[in-house]
Amino acid sequence: MIDRDETLKALTRRQLFQRCTTGMGAIALASLLNDDLLAASPTGAMDAMSARQPHFPGTAKRIIYMHMAGAPSQLDLFDHKPKLIEFNGKDVPAELIKNERFAFIKGTPKCLATPHTFARHGMSGAEISNLLPHLATMVDDVCFIKSMHTDHFNHAPAQLFVHTGSQLQGRPSMGSWLTYGLGTPNKDLPGFVVLTSGGVQPDGGTALWGNGFLPSVYQGTQFRSQGNPVLFVSNPEGMSSQVRRESLDALGDLNRLHLSKSHDPEIATRIAQYELAYRMQTTVPELMEIAKEPKEIHEMYGTEPGKTSFANNCLLARRLVERGVRFIQLYHWGWDSHGTTPGDDLITGLPKRCRETDQASTALLKDLKQRGLLEDTLVIWGGEFGRTPMNEARGGSKFLGRDHHPHCFTIWMAGGGIKSGISHGSTDELGYNVAEEGVHVHDLQATILHCMGLDHTKLTYRFQGRDFRLTDVHGKVVEKILV
Amino acid sequence: MTLRIHTALGLMLAISGMASAESPVDFVREIQPIFKASCTECHDGKKHKADFRLDSRIDALHGGETGISIVPGRSKNSLLMKRIRGEGDDDRMPVKKPPLTEEQTALVARWIDEGANWPENADGPVAAKVAHWSYVKPVRPSLPSVKHSGWVRNEIDAFVLSRLENEGIEPTSEASREILIRRVSLDLIGLPPTLPEVDAFLNDASPDAYDKVVDRLLASSHHGERWARPWLDLARYADSNGFEKDRVRSMWPYRDWVIDALNDNMGFDQFTIRQIAGDLLPEPTKADRIATGFHRNTTLNEEGGVDPEEYRYYAVVDRVNTTAAVWLGTTMGCSQCHNHKYDPFTMKDYYRLSAFFNSTKEETTKGGGTDPHDVSSKLTVEVPEVKTLEAEIGKLKAQTPHPATSQPTVNRLAEMQKRLDKAKTFSTTLVMAELPNPRETHIHVRGGFLSLGEKVQPDVPASLPRLPATQPAHPSRNRVDLARWLTSPDNPLTARVTMNRFWEAYFGRGLVETSEDFGVQGSPPSHPELLDWLAVEFMDRHWNMKAIHRKIVLSATYRQSSDIASALVEKDPSNKLLARGARFRLEAEMLRDQALGVSGLLSRKRGGPSVYPVQPEGIWNTPYSGEKWIESAGEDRYRRGIYTFMKRSSPYPMFTTFDATSRELICTRRPRTDTPLQALTIMNDPAFVQPAAELARVVVRESGPTISERVTFAFRRVLIRSPDAGEVVRLTALYRKELEQYRHDPKSAALMANSGLGVPPASLPTPELAAWTVVANVLLNLDETLTKG
Repeated sequence: MIDRDETLKALTRRQLFQRCTTGMGAIALASLLNDDLLAASPTGAMDAMSARQPHFPGTAKRIIYMHMAGAPSQLDLFDHKPKLIEFNGKDVPAELIKNERFAFIKGTPKCLATPHTFARHGMSGAEISNLLPHLATMVDDVCFIKSMHTDHFNHAPAQLFVHTGSQLQGRPSMGSWLTYGLGTPNKDLPGFVVLTSGGVQPDGGTALWGNGFLPSVYQGTQFRSQGNPVLFVSNPEGMSSQVRRESLDALGDLNRLHLSKSHDPEIATRIAQYELAYRMQTTVPELMEIAKEPKEIHEMYGTEPGKTSFANNCLLARRLVERGVRFIQLYHWGWDSHGTTPGDDLITGLPKRCRETDQASTALLKDLKQRGLLEDTLVIWGGEFGRTPMNEARGGSKFLGRDHHPHCFTIWMAGGGIKSGISHGSTDELGYNVAEEGVHVHDLQATILHCMGLDHTKLTYRFQGRDFRLTDVHGKVVEKILV
Repeated sequence: MTLRIHTALGLMLAISGMASAESPVDFVREIQPIFKASCTECHDGKKHKADFRLDSRIDALHGGETGISIVPGRSKNSLLMKRIRGEGDDDRMPVKKPPLTEEQTALVARWIDEGANWPENADGPVAAKVAHWSYVKPVRPSLPSVKHSGWVRNEIDAFVLSRLENEGIEPTSEASREILIRRVSLDLIGLPPTLPEVDAFLNDASPDAYDKVVDRLLASSHHGERWARPWLDLARYADSNGFEKDRVRSMWPYRDWVIDALNDNMGFDQFTIRQIAGDLLPEPTKADRIATGFHRNTTLNEEGGVDPEEYRYYAVVDRVNTTAAVWLGTTMGCSQCHNHKYDPFTMKDYYRLSAFFNSTKEETTKGGGTDPHDVSSKLTVEVPEVKTLEAEIGKLKAQTPHPATSQPTVNRLAEMQKRLDKAKTFSTTLVMAELPNPRETHIHVRGGFLSLGEKVQPDVPASLPRLPATQPAHPSRNRVDLARWLTSPDNPLTARVTMNRFWEAYFGRGLVETSEDFGVQGSPPSHPELLDWLAVEFMDRHWNMKAIHRKIVLSATYRQSSDIASALVEKDPSNKLLARGARFRLEAEMLRDQALGVSGLLSRKRGGPSVYPVQPEGIWNTPYSGEKWIESAGEDRYRRGIYTFMKRSSPYPMFTTFDATSRELICTRRPRTDTPLQALTIMNDPAFVQPAAELARVVVRESGPTISERVTFAFRRVLIRSPDAGEVVRLTALYRKELEQYRHDPKSAALMANSGLGVPPASLPTPELAAWTVVANVLLNLDETLTKG
């Protein structure tokens, strides 16, 4: 769609001066420029982050993607398989695992029924596990996709596959593609924000929100709940906001003096970026200041100001959405239920993860809905692959657990033009393979871009002689789940 | 395969010449018109359906998606004939036009049987692929004549000025000495000059004063550190494996090898040969083997369920793509899945190239915490710190007769032992090691890891010059042959691509702007003759890198002022014509090095395992990894950026904010962005606040007593040039204001003056230090400071 040359041409068209440094130096975060400065600046209008028209009117304006890193077990949360009760403890049918490669399972594994119970909820009668009592109250607003499948069954490659369309590091992430394609309406915050919880960063590392070969302005900005919410947003100890203001005034004056001599328009951009940085020093801490939210909101989300938690991140996601941020990504780590310790056991570990996330993710849906934001905000919840219908029993472990499984898993989506109260696709009786309406990761990506008004085959960027896309050369929009 | 075709071609020609009484088919007169009328509407350079072309000799003989189409001498075995005749299941060709007449069909068959003689010059302008400028060997162009020959300092200037004169543009006058010494120091050693160096230059009236500066810088050991930085981006050098666990890898000896090689001014040909094939040289030295770490910088996935063979395949693919990008400036990666759409590279070319890299012992993993590396592809090296620590421990033990009885000594020994243990974990480096029996290499159909196609042998792309006949010493071709071919004088690309990268580093854009793509899709050179002159000069000077650096920085072109005259903005807004000096933001590592340098904090210690400068808490937080960022002690906190530990999943944040990559893949050209996060970093990152506080101490300690003397001193330390009156006035006003504030707020003053450096000496007044720290912070954030001008 807009490749680098196009961007540069636009710059040429709209600028009095073309930047004298070439390449991506020509692109600044000018959408974030103060309007007055923009008018005064010779570098002017075109910028990498200003809001742009989509290919066609989309049903969503922004996205919250809750990634459950480690891959939650669909068989214990969403995809109820009574047949597994019958087969519990029995060898899995040999034809299913012929030529299969597992991450940890050795030999012939035994089927494992879920140790949890399922019930139907809502008008839609969606069947979900007792581990998700909060989500049970919102199933009519949600679309479950039970037929997801992927090509990768290790965490880092599979997470990278979901978020960049490739299992290898170095490709642009979905949020980068979206901000590259659409810019962002917000003037004082980054367009693509990442929040993590669960103790560690996700397995795929910062490459999950990396810009790959897109200009670095499109990389995700990580907001942190401990220390500086955005790296280096706070002044050094001993420097008050007043001293900072005064030093930026001096900096601006000196930069303008230099601009008058060297006539380099890049200087004007730099001046503007420093002013935006100064404003971020106020807007970011304000945004992170969730303590001022009313009591009922804290009760609804289960938030505790000052803590690092998924709940706090969900509330922050709503606050970011309200401020017009384009793409918000939440990672919660710890769903890797192998059954090797109490921590990753299906009976003790999995419910803990659910308690950490169920209330808050449901609260986020409810909160968006009550504020009228759900209709044009696309919410996605899911992991990077599924888990096996068989007990992993690594080294004879007595804990219950399931190995990595790329052939099927469940995610849910809501809002932003997605049909609500439906379940799409299904798996076979044992939950081993997709039975109908398979949705590949590239299909999901195509659908997400479609909701945002972008044709996944047209959102391209030329790199090393090739036009790259988020969906590589694959992907089909899942029309059946669209409103 | 292509080689075989060519041999067959020669053979068949000879045979047909003897055996045929009939006059041979004339391709241009008899065959080409048939192709033009019936075939090339679909099978030309534009559409190349099924990746097959009949408008260009090379492409036609290479075949398309379904393989070789024309087998010279064997019309019966030629797919082309089957399709023309409509034999087999596929549609008869042409699909949308009437079939060839019997006469035409017989003529084409006879032409093939006679050896498919297709004269090289028959295609005319249609054979764009072969004629593309960068695939033709450069020849030394003669110097153009110019009107203002007085401006010309060396050959470079003749090319640049000739172009400017054609456009009616005048070059800009030479930059001031202060600007020039800052520019050339940053370019050649990546550090700003010291004030004594500046003053020496300003006071040197000899005509070769500038040349002396240049020669001093080229001889400096910092030169290698500066120029290793872009090379390590190409080499995707990192200190960790990548992917989930992203464990630490000991690879620093390779980084030091690059720095040393550049400092020693190793010829670029040797520099290439050792990195690609140092292990296969006769009697390789340890350094030769360390150099092969270049291709051991590939990522490694250690997760439980990884198929080692799959990730080994990815590593081989990465080696092919990286080699092609670094030396040939080509986007070979396209041919992993299909024949290149624009450039003359087929899938077969791709996998033949991959065969050179397919037989090394591997770094594959079994997971589960066992050491993933094959011991035989790991080299043991000496860690400088180990010796020092062992000596210190020995000394301490000797000094204390009963070390166990003294608690402080016990603690000290324990701490030193810990450091020693850590240092010892860095006593290896990864190297290439060839298997005794090479693996078979196949084409991977559509690039798939498991879909094996035809078997191939190691070879270079068929459209480029051939490999010389195999040396008797090597029964089969190996990486040495490839490396020698890359730096052979017949290779049209390597010298051009390398010279273009040099140019890009100095001027902010290459003579070919797409420095990563010299192919048909790349941008054409702005000064083709200058590029060729540099390439030939480089080769003729035995690939002497410092000679070219010297040539460039001594040119009048390089020495121009970077101020932008308004007339120039309209005529050449992007400075493509080089009518002024370059002006662009410094790269990430240089920004930090500069701040450390001007403050005096910089440690000039060289080499050794990577270090851990100040970094915010919580950046390293990788699953299934207990590795922690523990800030280095002492001067190691203030080493140059090239020595900063590079963890792929959590790179040093300041670097990535300023467009460095996380080094998973080759980075041929860093973008240059300008964002508010960059502003916040220079404003508030301790990596920049500490130098500001240090500079404040230096100012108060070393400068004259008046405020304006101090302002001037600090300004010159940072910007090298002297401030003008307006600048002094503005900074003085800021200083006075902040001094007043800090006098009334001793607590803040103490914090500001400390800034992580520790409590300042009592002799230095705290409010003054705090106020000078604010001034220094402003100086470090000036656009001019962040920019090479």
